[in-house]
Amino acid sequence: MEDYASSDEDYYNQYEADDLVDYDDGDPDIDYTVASLNLGCSSSKVITQESLLAAQREDLHRVMDMLSLKEHHARTLLIHYRWDVEKVLALLVEKGKDELYAEAGVTVVKCDEFFLSKISSIITCNICMEEVSRKEVTLMDCGHYFCNTCWTEHFIVKINEGQSRRIKCMAYKCNAVCDEAKIRKLVGARDPYLAEKFDRFLLESFIEDNKRVKWCPSIPNCGNAIYVEGDELCEVECACGLQFCFSCSSEVHSPCSCLMWELWSRKCKDNSETVNWLTAHTKFCPNCLKPVEKSGGCNLVVCICGQGFCWLCGGATGWTHTWQSIADHSCGRYKDLEMKAARAKRDLVRYMHYHGRYKAHTDSFKLESNLKTISEGKISLIEGRNSTFKDFGWVTNGLYRLSRSRQILSYSYPFAFYMFGDLFEEEMTEKERELKQNLFEDQQQQLEANVEKLSSYIEEPFDEYTEDRVDELRLKIMDLSAITEKLCLKLYECIENDLLASLHHATHHIAPYMSKGAERARGMPS
Amino acid sequence: MSQRGEWGFSFPVRLKMIDFARVQKELQECSKDVEESGIKVSPKSDNLALLIGSIPGPIGTPYEGGTFQIDITLPDGYPFEPPKMQFATKVWHPNVSSQSGAICLDILKDQWSPALTLKTALVSVQALLSAPQPDDPQDAVVAKQYLQDHHTFVGTARYWTETFAKASSLGVEEKVQKLVEMGFPEDQVKSTLEAVGGDENLALEKLCSG
Repeated sequence: MEDYASSDEDYYNQYEADDLVDYDDGDPDIDYTVASLNLGCSSSKVITQESLLAAQREDLHRVMDMLSLKEHHARTLLIHYRWDVEKVLALLVEKGKDELYAEAGVTVVKCDEFFLSKISSIITCNICMEEVSRKEVTLMDCGHYFCNTCWTEHFIVKINEGQSRRIKCMAYKCNAVCDEAKIRKLVGARDPYLAEKFDRFLLESFIEDNKRVKWCPSIPNCGNAIYVEGDELCEVECACGLQFCFSCSSEVHSPCSCLMWELWSRKCKDNSETVNWLTAHTKFCPNCLKPVEKSGGCNLVVCICGQGFCWLCGGATGWTHTWQSIADHSCGRYKDLEMKAARAKRDLVRYMHYHGRYKAHTDSFKLESNLKTISEGKISLIEGRNSTFKDFGWVTNGLYRLSRSRQILSYSYPFAFYMFGDLFEEEMTEKERELKQNLFEDQQQQLEANVEKLSSYIEEPFDEYTEDRVDELRLKIMDLSAITEKLCLKLYECIENDLLASLHHATHHIAPYMSKGAERARGMPS
Repeated sequence: MSQRGEWGFSFPVRLKMIDFARVQKELQECSKDVEESGIKVSPKSDNLALLIGSIPGPIGTPYEGGTFQIDITLPDGYPFEPPKMQFATKVWHPNVSSQSGAICLDILKDQWSPALTLKTALVSVQALLSAPQPDDPQDAVVAKQYLQDHHTFVGTARYWTETFAKASSLGVEEKVQKLVEMGFPEDQVKSTLEAVGGDENLALEKLCSG
């Protein structure tokens, strides 16, 4: 495994000798990624249109069994408590059944139709103030009754207001939530389409009012939702193939925190095209700090704000000039303004530094996805030659490690941009920042160097090699795969333990390191 | 109601209408005990969607002795949607905008119930005059004064009541005379007064602007 280790790049390989897990050369089938690296073991499920009902049935039945409730009461309760079964149970112990139900608007004291039958056959509805026959009246569980026309009107207004999940009784100050079956029946008789919509809204409460479930943000929308059982701070892959951050619904971005990613993507949107052009063609005005383009003429440039400056040194000047000199041209005179301009420039340069590297890795990540097809071509060539090599797991695994490491590397740049930038300006002293930055950059560089090496090895035309050389390459790639994996984990440890954990004011959490990347959500029986 | 469309699918047809029968009944009910409650509701014109309510200022408050006019607009969904109410008479109160007369009252928003009526809503507005809720203010300036300088608040509220809520205590003839003395032609004064429901301040405003 060692020919590159003896090269002059020992520095980048300091982990290989002692830290590596042993793997069995004879059996490359064994996935030698370190099993314990799979830290956040959250398991997720895909909820499709068809399995939506099945997905909530489990939670519904738990509550129905535990409290011996009817389904619509259990649903009302769960909608109110945002589908958090544990919370419902905790509140049950803490506050008791009565208060739990009252808060959610569940009335289980049954006022049956017998109650209505005892009163006269003609009833005055308190809403429309009309007299109606008893058959035209509907009684809710809370004991309030009004005529069907008024109930229907009330339900339609509430459904259209988007309140399907909590339609309360019409009586003043009555907190009871109306029975969904009665709503369905009355609204269905007037407007079947709206009744269907009502049903859909009720079903989708499981997705929208539930912190464990999120819609897949795919465009065009696949209509699926993802249910997460463990930690909600994780990255998932939907059945449609889209990987996203469960916590902020944007693309996967670990080790960036959600806030950092939000700031970064907004910044990139604002800047990407323009930044390159601006730095190549403009200078910052020393007064208003706007970028100024020199459209022609001499080196005395006058900004739109009226400030003149020297195109050569960027220093502020007066307005008049001769062939040789510009009036008031002295670079030292406007120290303060110059520093401001320098700062604006430094900020931009800093952003470009990080953005450039972020972009380089993202681009490589995209380009390397072709490598898979190319490598498969090489493998089939070797196989066609009746070679002794039967297993090419090392290529697949190497490719996988390459793309995972690229992904992590690219997001580690926006992370560093904010970690060591103004976002945490007050969190650390200049010295602390420098120390931490060095620590982080060491890790990052090691990973980067090994990733580049892995990339070059995988690209080698091994289909043209002799068997001995292929075997040599196989060892190198297997070795580097393990090293990069280890370094990825180290980078995460550095970020989580040494950098983010030491923040005093801000709290930034990141989706934990997953050796295999975003977890693919399991399908559910519908 | 639902109609089957030309191509066989159904689409909803909803013509939302104010339940005018109920509004009529409400107006009748309200006029029955006007002597006792002092609360009046009357249509602004033939259209029952625009009404004007009036409540007496509660006794023992800076609003005592005043009569407060409230503009009422009924939405198409009434009584399943709350009526829109706002003070037409200027009033100095933490939960009423001193500029627009907008009222901050839960039953006029999410706590509305179709079982409430215009009269019960006006009773609630009257109760709000007796018991301001400065922690949930509509007018921050008034609320701040209410909490920090109560004495001045009471003074201002009383002054506003005297100035704006008692104007209509003058007879029509006196009002006309007063405005004519200010230099407006009598015909115009009469028609303007009529248009604004007899409020001489509103009439003056209108005469000046027009």
